[in-house]
Amino acid sequence: MARFKEMLRWRTISGDKVTVGDVTVTPQSRALIIRWPRGGLVWNRPVGILVERGEQTERIPIVDVTRMAQLGLLGLSLVFSMVIFVLSIRRRRDRNER
Amino acid sequence: MSDEFKEVVVTAVKNQEQAAELMGKLLAVAQPGAVYSEPVTVGEHTVITASEVSASMGFGFGIGGGTGTESAEGEAVSEDKPQGEKGEARGFGGGGGGGGASMGRPVAVISIGPEGVRVDPVVDATKIALAVFTTAGAMLIMLGKMLKASRG
Repeated sequence: MARFKEMLRWRTISGDKVTVGDVTVTPQSRALIIRWPRGGLVWNRPVGILVERGEQTERIPIVDVTRMAQLGLLGLSLVFSMVIFVLSIRRRRDRNER
Repeated sequence: MSDEFKEVVVTAVKNQEQAAELMGKLLAVAQPGAVYSEPVTVGEHTVITASEVSASMGFGFGIGGGTGTESAEGEAVSEDKPQGEKGEARGFGGGGGGGGASMGRPVAVISIGPEGVRVDPVVDATKIALAVFTTAGAMLIMLGKMLKASRG
């Protein structure tokens, strides 16, 4: 298990703070790290920013609109495929009953 | 151990070190600095771009070698023959290879100004359009097949 955890890591990291006037922004990213004996893969994406103004701290998420659209279309095609599959099975069953 | 073999081993160790160095560079992609750009200030606004980055790599090495004995005429040499009559066949070799890929795509633009902090998404219209066409094509094909099956 420990070896598996060492091979596959999923971590959220905060970057260097950027201060502009009275606003301090801390960027956050989430990285998936997969290591194998002779290589590895790193997938790093932004997840949000922490905005500090005075005493107030606000977290603004970063949404990957392109990825959401792609996943939405994939989901739509999967649902459509399932509906078509179920309908075709029903039609075949009805025809056999007649 | 022959000099050839030593040379092969030394080269292999050097390759391993270079590979470890490359792995270190790969892990640098996991830092937030790879995702967020340096802030750029224009007038009252400071802009930071956020991108999705991915990198992968793989490599491999191999060394091998062997010794054999044969006579000058290529016949097997019996052990009772004097050493001087034997022609020694010896060979060592090593090799390595690797490959990798990296990808980056802008996801959002963060702008900090007098009116506050704004996060504007970056929409890749080409990618979305390609996904729409692929989905529509797949749906039409499935629908066509279903209609064909229901008629037949």
